Amino acid sequence: MPLPFQRILLTFFFSGVIGFSEVVDQQAWEKKVPENRADLAAIQARLQELIPVTQKALVSIEANDGAGSGVIVSPDGLILSAAHVIGRTGVNMEVRLLDGRRTNAVSLGGSEISDAGMLQIKEPGPWPYVKIPKLHSSKVGDWCFGLGHPGGFDIERGLVVRIGRIIEKKDETMQTDSRLLGGDSGGPLFNFEGKVIAIHSRISNEPDQNFHVPIESFQENWEFFREQDLLTFENIEQGGFLGIACEESDQGLVIQSVIPGTAAEKAGFQENDIILKIDDEVIRNREKLTIFISGKEPEDEIKIEYQRQMSTATLKLKLGSRFE
Amino acid sequence: MHFNLIHIALLFFVTWNTPAFCEDQNQTNSLEPAFRLNGIKTQDAFGPGKSKALHSTVRLMRNNKLIALGTLINAEGYIITKASSCVGAREATMHNGESFPLKIRKRFEEIDLALYQLISQQVEFDCVEWEEGNQTSPASWVFSPYPGLQEIRIGITSGNPRTIGREGGVMGVMLGRDGKENGGIEINEVVPQAAADRAGLLAQDLILSVDGRRVLRKNQVIQIVSSKDPGDMITLEILRNNKKKQLKVTLGHNSVTFELFNRNLQMSGPVSKRKDNFPLILQHDLPLPKEGMGGPLFNLKGKCIGINIARVDRVSTFALPVETIKPYLKKWLPTLDKTLSKGIP
Repeated sequence: MPLPFQRILLTFFFSGVIGFSEVVDQQAWEKKVPENRADLAAIQARLQELIPVTQKALVSIEANDGAGSGVIVSPDGLILSAAHVIGRTGVNMEVRLLDGRRTNAVSLGGSEISDAGMLQIKEPGPWPYVKIPKLHSSKVGDWCFGLGHPGGFDIERGLVVRIGRIIEKKDETMQTDSRLLGGDSGGPLFNFEGKVIAIHSRISNEPDQNFHVPIESFQENWEFFREQDLLTFENIEQGGFLGIACEESDQGLVIQSVIPGTAAEKAGFQENDIILKIDDEVIRNREKLTIFISGKEPEDEIKIEYQRQMSTATLKLKLGSRFE
Repeated sequence: MHFNLIHIALLFFVTWNTPAFCEDQNQTNSLEPAFRLNGIKTQDAFGPGKSKALHSTVRLMRNNKLIALGTLINAEGYIITKASSCVGAREATMHNGESFPLKIRKRFEEIDLALYQLISQQVEFDCVEWEEGNQTSPASWVFSPYPGLQEIRIGITSGNPRTIGREGGVMGVMLGRDGKENGGIEINEVVPQAAADRAGLLAQDLILSVDGRRVLRKNQVIQIVSSKDPGDMITLEILRNNKKKQLKVTLGHNSVTFELFNRNLQMSGPVSKRKDNFPLILQHDLPLPKEGMGGPLFNLKGKCIGINIARVDRVSTFALPVETIKPYLKKWLPTLDKTLSKGIP
């Protein structure tokens, strides 16, 4: 992890480059808002250019109790979808590509916190796939488009595309004003580079404030989702318990509050302490912290490196249980 | 304070991804409404097309309640709208609040379209300009007036232009097993508020005949009923408490009758009653209520490409494309092309 000053320098450097390119040729979808019909036409043209490429990686997933969607992200057939679409690990499911090809996949892991889920196609491939962007490359205001099979695969209707912008992004949720319906769940949300930035998760009562799993949830917990298990709320309840509420920041996980009587309070953690590493592993993602802690048992000992004001320190503590 | 901390912690660990929590935390970091897909700034990017759209649309009223929108198609005040939504419309209101009495000129039941005229001595009405070009490609910008006629709603076309098949009428009952000898077919359940309920049918009633034809099998009932249209009346002979009885049922629409059983429809809010049996439709995702049907659908150039004809669910609306509408209007309104060119340069 770069030191803070290096980060600042990098940020400075890149913002300089972007600042320059803004003057020369800023794309319509990079503006704060499209200003005229020419901007809208440019957005439309870009969208129409990206659909033929991205749609090939879209799949519909037929599970026992309904249909969902997913997207292939590797030539050997790894699929990103939603936890509530896969249900649990190790389930065989049929997936269908837009061209009608059917094949079998098995559900891997995921997390009910963010609603991220993975599947693996059994046939070796190569499968059409889409790329994933760098960490934290999407931000509020970005234009995006979603693909999915609302209500299930329908060959006469064909592909459904919906456009929108990211209206909120925080920790393990992203909200957009792109529309969603049941059956869209697990389908991909793309940026205007054609890369997957999120997976459709839940619809809101307001049609223009729907929820998605940000790609960061997958990126930060890739190994766990791929190799291990589906983290459920039940797992969280039964695993180890630290006793803090925190928020993600560039420096690390900032503690917002410490619950009295818990392991965290006994160890002396305070508000605004920043967690840097646990058991020597860098943890900047809130979901990763929960996966890590609830993967432990109550009474297990962990080592936490943290920052308080300008100094860093390390301490060891014994995890508690949620029911103490 | 103590309670608050625990409350926060519980939210974080157990339900930290509920919508309420996210909204509370994110006020400062959310995209301002004006810049969103349907925000006022994005609407303004559509330029003069926006106000032209609002000026060439009317609100159709019945008892001072909005029931549908209408699309002005010539300077003489002719409008087209969704026929099944505007029964009983007496008055049309413009974007500026001006009102005109309405006269029905013609109904084209086949495509669920009605032709009305606004009655006025002196006014030359603004009207839509039709798109003359080729079919609209998927994922193209479209917009339509929102019912208040002060704003538009924006979205894109999606899915293939296609035919929507006929659904047929329904009674809104769950039928039991096939009847024996002369026992008829038992009704297991009656959908609340649906056609059968309103006609007075009850669970456990035995259906003996439909429109005078004796029925012994469940499929016979389904076949007869679905061959009728919503709005048609059928006569049932039933057996209740060992007494024969005759009931008349005015059939309902499949789409709204079984709403209770469809999760997606429950989340959608009111949808159009008729959303089936169209020769060709364009699908789009404009967030319009069912009272927003009958209004025009425009492309990025501000040309009218169709009439919104059915709100299907929370993400899908069907529009009748111009190519489908024109032949009907041309037959009935031979001067259509000439009058159309008057309104907008």
